[in-house]
Amino acid sequence: MKLHKFIKTIPLKLYLILLGFILFSFFSNDFGLVDVQKTAVILAAGIDKTEEGFALTTQIAVPKGDDRTQGGTSSVEVNAEGATVSDCVTEIFAKTGWVPKFVFCNLILLSEEAAKEDTISELNYFLRNEYMNDSCFLAVCEGKAEEFLATKSATDDTSSFAIVKLFSDAAEKSGKVMPNTLKDFAVGYYSLSESSYMPFLRAEDQKTSPSKEEGSSGQEGGQGGQGGQSESEKIYRAEETAIFSKGKMADVLTPEETLAFSLLHGNVETGTFGTKDEEKAITLTVLKNKGSVKLETKTSPKVNFKLDVMVRLCCRGTTAPIEDISSDDVKPQILENAKETLDEYIHSLWNTIVNADCDLFNLKRDLYRSSAKKYRVWKDYFPTAVIPTFETKVTSQK
Amino acid sequence: MTSISSRKITARQLYFYLACVTPVGKLVILPARLANYAGSDLLLPAIAHILLQAAAVFCVLLLAKRNKSFFELLENSVGKIAARIVILIISAFLFFVSLVPLLEQKSFVQGTFYDTIPSLVAFAPFFLLSAYLCAKPLISYGRTWDILGPLAIVGIVGILILSVTQADFGAILPIGSEGIMKFLQGTGYTFCWFFDAPILLFLLGKIEPEKGLAWKGSLFYLLGGLCVIFFIVVFYGIFEQTAVNQIFGFSKTSKYFSGMTVLGRVDFLFIYALAFVMIFYTTLPIQAGIEGILQAFGRKKYLPTLLSLGVNLVLIILTAVFDYEFGNVMHFYSEKIFFIFPVFTLLLPALALLLRRKRHETS
Repeated sequence: MKLHKFIKTIPLKLYLILLGFILFSFFSNDFGLVDVQKTAVILAAGIDKTEEGFALTTQIAVPKGDDRTQGGTSSVEVNAEGATVSDCVTEIFAKTGWVPKFVFCNLILLSEEAAKEDTISELNYFLRNEYMNDSCFLAVCEGKAEEFLATKSATDDTSSFAIVKLFSDAAEKSGKVMPNTLKDFAVGYYSLSESSYMPFLRAEDQKTSPSKEEGSSGQEGGQGGQGGQSESEKIYRAEETAIFSKGKMADVLTPEETLAFSLLHGNVETGTFGTKDEEKAITLTVLKNKGSVKLETKTSPKVNFKLDVMVRLCCRGTTAPIEDISSDDVKPQILENAKETLDEYIHSLWNTIVNADCDLFNLKRDLYRSSAKKYRVWKDYFPTAVIPTFETKVTSQK
Repeated sequence: MTSISSRKITARQLYFYLACVTPVGKLVILPARLANYAGSDLLLPAIAHILLQAAAVFCVLLLAKRNKSFFELLENSVGKIAARIVILIISAFLFFVSLVPLLEQKSFVQGTFYDTIPSLVAFAPFFLLSAYLCAKPLISYGRTWDILGPLAIVGIVGILILSVTQADFGAILPIGSEGIMKFLQGTGYTFCWFFDAPILLFLLGKIEPEKGLAWKGSLFYLLGGLCVIFFIVVFYGIFEQTAVNQIFGFSKTSKYFSGMTVLGRVDFLFIYALAFVMIFYTTLPIQAGIEGILQAFGRKKYLPTLLSLGVNLVLIILTAVFDYEFGNVMHFYSEKIFFIFPVFTLLLPALALLLRRKRHETS
């Protein structure tokens, strides 16, 4: 009887075993094992233009420290040149014996020169690569990408980690940076506007106190015997934004224009900007921000920049009585000055994108979406012939 | 306890299949192919397909109240030999069309769940399960659909919730701007993804009769189709012109959700759920094809097992042969022989309505 019952349940058991087997093979991902002896875990890639084609610099993660107290990630930079980026990747494989793995790549850095040429030809490899994370950040750097990636960060063991920190959500909400990803850049490039943007990076020497510098070089001298030759540490800035038209870098937005761009996107929350109160510098915090760029197409193409910002006095550059510090009230004159400042930033932003022939706000695309017929008539006049109107409203917390 | 031969698929199970399981196969490569052929008007061919298939489902389910298998209906009208030939042709079509979801799923598993291309062996267990399922009567799917239905709902809703905030719905505007040729191209070249109605033909006689089954069934199919359409809008809203490059649709859209940086890829839970449903969606045309042959030639003792092993063996060989030919195979199915599909997926269900209720008595 028991045997009969057992035989009867065999099909169900077999079914469950097969189901388990298939789930195991589909979803195990080979247990996500990465053989670090054979694989190069690429954290960032830098692209330079050469006469032959491209130079690719990959920042590859290597384990750091020989005990638990010295954890963290260190990296090495490996360079290769080739006619295409793919050739460079193959060259890196040939040079190191490591299979390049881009799945953890979080940053693609383009040199200034490379960005001025056809960017999509440089990003082509990454757009095609099914195993590439298309949420990785893009940035243009001053000078060569190879040298930029090889700089020593003052804030992290690995330069790319320090750079990516600049593109965090919190940094974006400050209005100081406009990060962009590979996917969104491609969407902008392949749209009717053929325009996009990415942060423009600069590296500055970190000023250290003499005592720290001495201590540091003394330690290094003791360890490596290279006293006095220590490489200067860098901090990175991404407050400028490179704007692209038809895949080529057309201009660089100043930090003020970047702030205006960010405000118009409605990104800013607790970001700050400076203005004047009775000719004295003050800083205002943006508590709430609504921004929009709307295209009107009734008679002729017009663009309306609308900005609604709620601010609070953050800091005065002068002494103030305690009543002023404890009060949330912002004088109407300060609000008026703030409005003028923001208007100036937005005007400046508009002039820059018009001069660069960059449709940064996707006006052409919006025109097509509203009327394909009008698009065919007006498309060649964008953005130069578009009449801008500006509406800025600055209010204070009640 | 009722034996499997006397068991029937309930209306609920059928509705789960039509509303929840059938959309899953349309969420992988189809959105990218539609974007390729129809541009920003990708929605229109999808709507056309869903309406046409819903009409075909309606036709097939109208036959369900006759309570006869498709072979019996054919036999009554055209005789045994002709009926067998017709069944063999339809089964061959179903085996042929099964290669579309099969290769699609293989590429999906390799491309989505693995960081580097795994060996073909990683996909091999699929054929063991497929061989097992295909040796069982088609009716055994009823209970499976009871499980797959809710699972598919969780998967689709989860993916849509995570994706919808990232979509720019204006991307599909202005509707109709791509022109009639793009619409026709988009509709014609994506026929191979819509083969739900002919599968139902082999369920005839195995569905519990219910009042209004035909219109309710097509309504549930439309409900599933609505999910597909909404997903396609979200998909195009996220990727816009780059959508043509985004194969493996439902595994791509949810990863841009802003909370993902904190939570990690939680969307994989929903992707796993849909990938699980896809396993059964893929085996269904194979099993339906075998069911057709068994209806025509009788369910002899070892015939289901032998047929299942034989068909799956051929499919293993084809999968291995086309391991690196996925693009070419899809191109062949969608652009070279696209005209075959409407014959089986639309014309056949419509013509099936002409089948006689009773055997024609010759004097």
